[in-house]
Amino acid sequence: MDSQAIECHGLSRRFGARMAVSDLAFNVPHGSVFGFLGPNGAGKTTTVRMLVGMLRPSGGSVKVLGRDPIVEGEWVRSHCGVMLDNVGLYDRLSARQNLDFAARVARFTVAQRRERVESALHLIDLWDRRDDRVSSFSKGMRQKLGLARALIADPELLILDEPTAGLDPTNIVMVRDLLVSLAQESGRTIFLCTHLLAEAQRICDRVAIIQGGRLVAIGDPNKLGSQGLPTFRLTLSGGDSDKIGDLSLPEDVQLSPLIGDEWRATVADPADIEPVVATLVGAHIGIRAVIPEQVSLEEEYLRLVGGERND
Amino acid sequence: MIDLTTMMWKEVAEFFGNRRFLTIFTISIGLMGVLPLTTGVQGSPVAIILRGMFVLLATLMVVANTAPDLVLHERVGHTLDYLLTTRLPDYAIFGAKVFVSAAVGYIAAMLSLAVQLVATGLFGGTGWHWLFLSLPLGRVVAFGLTADLGLYVAVVGTFVALRVGEQRAAYMVTVVSVGVLLVPFLVGWLHVALTMSWMTQATIAFGVFSIALGLLGLRLFRREMLVLYLQE
Repeated sequence: MDSQAIECHGLSRRFGARMAVSDLAFNVPHGSVFGFLGPNGAGKTTTVRMLVGMLRPSGGSVKVLGRDPIVEGEWVRSHCGVMLDNVGLYDRLSARQNLDFAARVARFTVAQRRERVESALHLIDLWDRRDDRVSSFSKGMRQKLGLARALIADPELLILDEPTAGLDPTNIVMVRDLLVSLAQESGRTIFLCTHLLAEAQRICDRVAIIQGGRLVAIGDPNKLGSQGLPTFRLTLSGGDSDKIGDLSLPEDVQLSPLIGDEWRATVADPADIEPVVATLVGAHIGIRAVIPEQVSLEEEYLRLVGGERND
Repeated sequence: MIDLTTMMWKEVAEFFGNRRFLTIFTISIGLMGVLPLTTGVQGSPVAIILRGMFVLLATLMVVANTAPDLVLHERVGHTLDYLLTTRLPDYAIFGAKVFVSAAVGYIAAMLSLAVQLVATGLFGGTGWHWLFLSLPLGRVVAFGLTADLGLYVAVVGTFVALRVGEQRAAYMVTVVSVGVLLVPFLVGWLHVALTMSWMTQATIAFGVFSIALGLLGLRLFRREMLVLYLQE
């Protein structure tokens, strides 16, 4: 088996004059949870559509489970469970019929279908509403049903676009725990598009941030902001930003302003903070606090995409 | 084949949850079943043609609504996007939509025929009889021509819906397309002596043409045609 569940090289898609996705390159290892983050219109959904062969790339290449989704679309789609941002449930059918249709598509026998549909409805706590038309369902119920439909065939790869959108906190936790158990216990690969950065940081092994169709960052969500280096939050007094910026700091130390008197020091080794403190004291800059910190994914995300307009 | 039946199962299941379809289906059957009472003397060539026309109209009304709806409803509800992420092959998606809408049209025609029989028997003043079905010519129209028309409108309606994004517009375009393409056939029907041989040949020719159109549709259809934004 290929070691990568998804491989993208220079993946691009053009709509007329507009580049929706440009030169994307990333790999998703088997059994990992990969977060794909970006503002609305960044190109996440277009990327998902290329992954499942719905859209032909304008340039570059993509392999899903070792196959080209355009050339071997049917094979790729039969091994992937997909939930798009618009869940796309059949409103005229009941919850049970929606799941039964997905199970029929996967070519299960009657007995298998019955068993899978029943356990899926219990899993998402919709068993009591199984024969109600989906048109009467809330947004959260639809999301859960869409997730159950993506899971019904036990796919090797789950591609989920905003699976927790519209869910209340209890259901968000339920979905998060479900995704973690799917990845850890069943070894499934999960490609997760989400806006919930705290959730992504908690459950993803790696994340990629996309902005304007381009990849702007990729890595471990807990180390993305500091490139894996130790960071400290410094609260200073008695020094303006020009003065601090002009200080001669040891090599490999980066001091960057945050809000007000707060600064962030990124160092190669935790012990390197000491010469930084000494330099600041020597320059008659007051130090009120030095706190080791972990740069949050949210902070890094906002730094990377916050300044640009969401289209 | 299993994929085709899976899609057909879904399309049929959806009909029962579609109030608009059920209304059109019922009205078409009722209207086209009762209106033939106004066609006058039993057994005259004009009455035969008109009564046959009512059965054909029932097919047209139902299929011209159903075929575009099967595509447009999926587009509006974003279920097309889901469908495109499944392993269902193109032929199953297209084939099921065409086959189910044609079948529904044929069933509507047969039911309107049954209503005609009952209505004429009860209110026609001439007692129970087989209307135009007692003539071989009538049977060709009722059972052969309606099947041809159902298939033809289903193929045209499905392809129209791939390009026209709104239900009413798709219905109108479908009816107009059918009207335009049927002109040569209807002109021939009215001007050529209404012999059994001519009608049989015309029905066979129309049937072959509709099947060829359906097969061409299967060949030309690509799943990405279902989503308008993918056509950019």
